[in-house]
Amino acid sequence: MTTEFENAEKEMSRLVEASLKKYGLKPNVLFARLSDITKAASSGLITWSRKNSVWPSLFGLACCAMELMDFGSARIDAERGSYLLFRATPRQSDVMIVAGWVTKSIIPEIKRMYEQMMKPRYVVAYGECATSGGPWFESYNIIRGIDQVLPVDVYVAGCPPKPENLFAALLKLQKKIGGNIEG
Amino acid sequence: MGQALQGDGLTTKINVGPIHPSTHGVLRLVVELDGDEIVNVEPHIGFLHRGVEKLMETRNYMQDLPYVEKLDYVAPEAYSEAYISAVESALGVEVKERAQYLRVVLLELQRIASHLLWLGTFLNDLGHFFTVFMWAFADRDKILRLLQEHAGARMFYVNMRLGGLNRDVPPGFEEEVLSVLGDIEKRIPMYESYLEKNEIFMERTKGIGAISSHRAIELGVTGPVLRASGVNFDIRSSKSYYVYDKLNFKPQVVSSGDVFARYKVRMLEMKESIRLVREAIRHMPPGDAVGMPIRLIIPAPKNKEVRVYRETPRGELLIYMVAGQQGPYRVSFRSPSFINLAALPEIAKGAHYADLFAILGSLDLVIPDVDR
Amino acid sequence: MKVEKEALLKTAEEMKNKGFSYLVKITAVDNISSLVVLYFLRNLNTGEEETLEVELSPVDASVPSIMHIYKAADWYERELKEMFGIEITGRSAPRLLLEKWNGIEPPLRKNFEWGKPYKAMD
Repeated sequence: MTTEFENAEKEMSRLVEASLKKYGLKPNVLFARLSDITKAASSGLITWSRKNSVWPSLFGLACCAMELMDFGSARIDAERGSYLLFRATPRQSDVMIVAGWVTKSIIPEIKRMYEQMMKPRYVVAYGECATSGGPWFESYNIIRGIDQVLPVDVYVAGCPPKPENLFAALLKLQKKIGGNIEG
Repeated sequence: MGQALQGDGLTTKINVGPIHPSTHGVLRLVVELDGDEIVNVEPHIGFLHRGVEKLMETRNYMQDLPYVEKLDYVAPEAYSEAYISAVESALGVEVKERAQYLRVVLLELQRIASHLLWLGTFLNDLGHFFTVFMWAFADRDKILRLLQEHAGARMFYVNMRLGGLNRDVPPGFEEEVLSVLGDIEKRIPMYESYLEKNEIFMERTKGIGAISSHRAIELGVTGPVLRASGVNFDIRSSKSYYVYDKLNFKPQVVSSGDVFARYKVRMLEMKESIRLVREAIRHMPPGDAVGMPIRLIIPAPKNKEVRVYRETPRGELLIYMVAGQQGPYRVSFRSPSFINLAALPEIAKGAHYADLFAILGSLDLVIPDVDR
Repeated sequence: MKVEKEALLKTAEEMKNKGFSYLVKITAVDNISSLVVLYFLRNLNTGEEETLEVELSPVDASVPSIMHIYKAADWYERELKEMFGIEITGRSAPRLLLEKWNGIEPPLRKNFEWGKPYKAMD
């Protein structure tokens, strides 16, 4: 009986190590219980699913919003890159793409929208105005970059950046979330 | 359908917040309702104010050109052309003849692109989820690619110079323009038959938000909103500029004054613009179209006060400029969206709450132009 | 045409009766010794234009409201008050265009100091 048990355990640990290697986790982890195995496998599963389905929320303020609309439309398609469904409500989205210049009057609304998003949440500063204030750098009503208010993950430069730039930025964000990107 | 609550006198206030899924920009409406009937609408603006008029006083003429383009980002070519005309009037520079025809071609292409974007977002506001949006954006992308061939950028083309353009069109441009116009001309009847045979669209737009021509003049509205109420006024025919009079331009006027009339005026304007571009390409003379390159030292201005009237896709734009030595001393923009938004409380009084968004969409507002 | 501040209302009524029923814009220019308010009017039937110029002193500038004559003057006067600090008399106090703008001097005047921080959000 015990040898069957030991064989089964060896077989199981061999299978577990093989699958751990496949998902990119370190193989020298000691597993004592089945719950640990499922937790490790599922955290890889959860990261994989979060990484590959990043839903942006509509936060177009100004000119860069035109490029966001182009990003979702037929020629440069957002859906083929898994950035499906621009959500109008922040409670169902992962990424807030801040597109356009930020004025002092709209800061409370931005903060409220950011707090309504569920963790893990990310922010992409799209365009020069959200990165650093843009051409309105010296104006009396402009915040010089959204990173004075919110923590930003990826910056995209351009005025306005082409939608292909946004694709590259969201791929970088996916790498940041979960490690390697296939394809 | 639907009666307002009677006799109570109590009203509800609803906040349509600054961030909402429509794509005009950041606008806050405080709507006061009596049952389902709108008693008053108060637009709160100012969330996108950057002080453009003050910033432009600190720079010189050529550095101000990108500032002007970012005022109305749906039709930036119209605004940059108006500003360059103002500087040309101040300095006394004439526009070359081939450049005049080319400017008309670029302006009318921009008008078609702007009306296509309006069509897509208007139907999104009505609740039609992204079908016409996708079709209209595919058409608009063809035009943007044409403009990109000449100017180099998709959205903010800084391609106007004093007396002409920054460069002539590349070879083969005219054939491409004609082929794109042929494609779009086949699609416009598709949009019209798709929408006008649809009962829901007709019920949501016919008879909603109607204003008479007398009321429209009183409220000071401009552009397609004015022409949809039966007033025959278009800057391109009254104060004709460039070669519009040679191309036999006719303003498109519809007389019912409701949301459907504003939609119809814009579709008719698209067809008229296609005809204008074809005529301009046929009559364009060969020659030189390149204007003055960008210089930092320019001659002193001849005229101190300049006024330029232009017809942008949204309405009438007036640039009043007091010219200084190197840059403007004071620039004042009369943006069409400002006064159209100011007329919204009067147009929407007495309508149902769901009609408010149809009316708001039909006015074609761009909010950064409202609070520059 | 140049108009004195006291004769503004009467001139505006005359213009409206003559057919200049469309108000295009109300704007102002700050020449440092004086402040000039401009009213652009248009006659839609004939296409004629007319401009009324009112010259004010930069200290305690105020102008009567023409809202009861031209309905479109409402929002333009709000912008005048906010950007130039010109008081508008004869109507209910105009609501400011930028909501939380209290406590800052009018931006479009030439003596506006750049870079001065102001309390706008609280």
